[in-house]
Amino acid sequence: MVFSSLVFLFFFLPITMLLYFIIPDKFRNIFILLTGLLFYAWGEPKYVLIMLISTAIDYTAGLLINKFSENRKKQTVFLLVSVIMNLGLLAVFKYSSFIITTVNSVFGLNITDPQLPLPIGISFYTFQSMSYTIDLYLKKIRVQKNFFSFAAYVTLFPQIVAGPIVRYEDVAKEIDHRTISISKVSEGIGKFLKGLAKKVLLANNIGLIWTQVKAMDYGEISAASAWLGILAFTFQIYFDFSGYSDMAIGLGKMLGFNFPINFDHPYLSRSISEFWRRWHITLGSWFREYVYIPLGGNRKGFARTIINLLIVWSLTGLWHGSSWNFMLWGFYFGVLIVIERLGFGKILEKLPKAVSTLYTFVMVVFGWVLFDTNTLSNAWQYIGAMFGANGVLGDSTALYLLVSNAVIYAICIFASTDIFSKFTNKLHNSKPEQLKIAAIAAQLFVLINCTAYLVDASYNPFLYFRF
Amino acid sequence: MIFALITVFSPKETFSELENKSLEREPKLSAKSWFDRSYTDKLEKYIADHFSGRVGWLELKSGIETSVGKKEINGIYILKDRLIEKVVEPDYSDVDKSINAINTFGSENDIPVCVMLVPTSAEFYKDELADFYPELDQRKFIDYVYSGLGEGISAIDVYDVLSSHKNDYIFYRTDHHWTSLGAYYAYAEAGEQMGYTPHELSFYDVEHASDSFKGTFYSKTLSASVKDDTMDFYHSPDGDAPVTVEVTQEFGSEPEVNDSIYFRDYLEVKDKYASFLGTNAPIVTIKTGSEGGKLLIIKDSYAHCYSQFLTEDYSEITLIDMRYIQISYKKIIDVSEYDEALFLYNVSSFAGDTDLKKLLYS
Repeated sequence: MVFSSLVFLFFFLPITMLLYFIIPDKFRNIFILLTGLLFYAWGEPKYVLIMLISTAIDYTAGLLINKFSENRKKQTVFLLVSVIMNLGLLAVFKYSSFIITTVNSVFGLNITDPQLPLPIGISFYTFQSMSYTIDLYLKKIRVQKNFFSFAAYVTLFPQIVAGPIVRYEDVAKEIDHRTISISKVSEGIGKFLKGLAKKVLLANNIGLIWTQVKAMDYGEISAASAWLGILAFTFQIYFDFSGYSDMAIGLGKMLGFNFPINFDHPYLSRSISEFWRRWHITLGSWFREYVYIPLGGNRKGFARTIINLLIVWSLTGLWHGSSWNFMLWGFYFGVLIVIERLGFGKILEKLPKAVSTLYTFVMVVFGWVLFDTNTLSNAWQYIGAMFGANGVLGDSTALYLLVSNAVIYAICIFASTDIFSKFTNKLHNSKPEQLKIAAIAAQLFVLINCTAYLVDASYNPFLYFRF
Repeated sequence: MIFALITVFSPKETFSELENKSLEREPKLSAKSWFDRSYTDKLEKYIADHFSGRVGWLELKSGIETSVGKKEINGIYILKDRLIEKVVEPDYSDVDKSINAINTFGSENDIPVCVMLVPTSAEFYKDELADFYPELDQRKFIDYVYSGLGEGISAIDVYDVLSSHKNDYIFYRTDHHWTSLGAYYAYAEAGEQMGYTPHELSFYDVEHASDSFKGTFYSKTLSASVKDDTMDFYHSPDGDAPVTVEVTQEFGSEPEVNDSIYFRDYLEVKDKYASFLGTNAPIVTIKTGSEGGKLLIIKDSYAHCYSQFLTEDYSEITLIDMRYIQISYKKIIDVSEYDEALFLYNVSSFAGDTDLKKLLYS
């Protein structure tokens, strides 16, 4: 099930919330587990079993790591069981096609690709589960002895299909004790609706432009059309993804959880390093915590730091999907970050804000070409078109795209900045009462408009099926 | 929550007249439908189709789109006083297949074959849009098709006559069809090539059959900015010649019979254009009792309105719609019994057609 659907908004969510508030506290984790399973099984009726089995294994590994706290060797074995199982799931379901086609082409073999469908959210829940066993091994957290509580953490429906990647550490306390209050619920509703608006009103609408441009012949399109197209995707992926995160955080609040923030106006970043501290923050910190630092981070000399960075970023790319485009997309950011480490970062800091922000934005936009054009040759051709390789800078198609969508581009640009949130923060301090009323009106407005778009659901894609 | 309750308990319709589409029926839950996800997919569609106040929501969306400056909704441009279709460049390999099918039909059958490609309203009213809005050049398209027709097939060009009457009411404002007046001008233009003498326009008694027609373009946009259309029937002043219309929905089954070209029941529903010979069916036969030959029309729905002018010139007219025929036409009709064949399509449907090539089935 997805949040931006009528089934979720008008059936699943109100019924779940009503029951959640009625039942006694001690049953709430079991209830979360059940609703999470229903939510997940709605879209993955078969693979829900895989999630349950992997949850059971991680839970047991956690108990055993805790039990043998005096025996580091045994602990290591149990940790490895958990990590290998999780990475194994990813390897089988997410990367087998990629691995097999690569092996076939390198060695001239002919292994058949089983073409397993990718279970929704597998990249998210395997990473979350691993954070539990690894942190337990590192003695950062305490063991969860109650299976239902642990399973509730994994299957918590707000974050199961598209993040944020909530580490066990983040919610350890709230799993066992959380408070539910009217003010938190209303804050959660506000956050949820903000996310819904980003997804349904902004991302879906600007995404329509990208679907048009993406289907054009890259050997013919004008530079202006190419730019308009990839800019549309740039906004689509941001509002879609951060919209999902907002909705998840809002739903978490309604249930009594505080999830970490996942996006912080990333397109205002003044360097690529900063961009990745503001884009999909929970993924970046997961890789830093569990890959970069264990590899030695920046403590083993300059050369190792660079190698570590490139490894981490290639893996980050590959996490987003199993193809060379994604790997290269990650590697591209790794290279840009290394260049910043080599001294370019200092220059960016000294440059005027507008220049460094524009530099970062444009580099990110080129990244999105790699990300969403499916094959490397498509990506090269598309980037060529952006530089006018087809011999046409502008044409009537570009003018058509721009004129008929000018308002939506303008709204997206505005919504990518922090002008509006700064403005509301100011109001929050000076006129809190008026702001509350305005917020309720805005939320109603959003709900009504989103409903209108969902009832006529002609275009409402789920972008994370490859993650 | 309230909407959910209303949605669950309200009575359900199976067809949305306004949008002209069938609505999803309540899916059945079974182990199979759950595990292959068809249950959840269908349930989501079912909820969207039966969501309480559905039409109001759709109108709201359409209103939002127009207010943010969108001229185009669901492939329809909203002009000042009419709606026109965004006709895009076709896939010319499909077009070539259709041309080839017509040529093959012509060489296989020893009767005169005519082709009439009718430009749609978009061609004549698109000037209101800036040049950069994509819209097929229908003049060029018609020329492309006509230049590909084989020897012995005559092309009937109605472009100029329609163009010269573009300020008259020859196309509906809210629908993709031509009006009876538009069809009349084409009928008059085609007389010489088809071998009949057309009546003057003043000959007819015009009946305003409806003035509340909201057509397919309206259904796609739900735009309230364009006036409803008027639908006219053109009668002979001496009363229409008696006709028998047989509509065959399924090959081999009993045809449905009507004693007029005009199916007046449809004037009471949304899809009023169906009052010309009913909704699309694979085979429709009109027996007129007039003097004259037998005409075979291979067509889209533009021919329905057109047929009202032909009843005095032919003794029998058979219309076949290749979209609904999946076997060789030779198994359905004997072309040698006919004196003439006419391919009648509008540019938009011909450009997107992938069914004419079924004429090649053996």
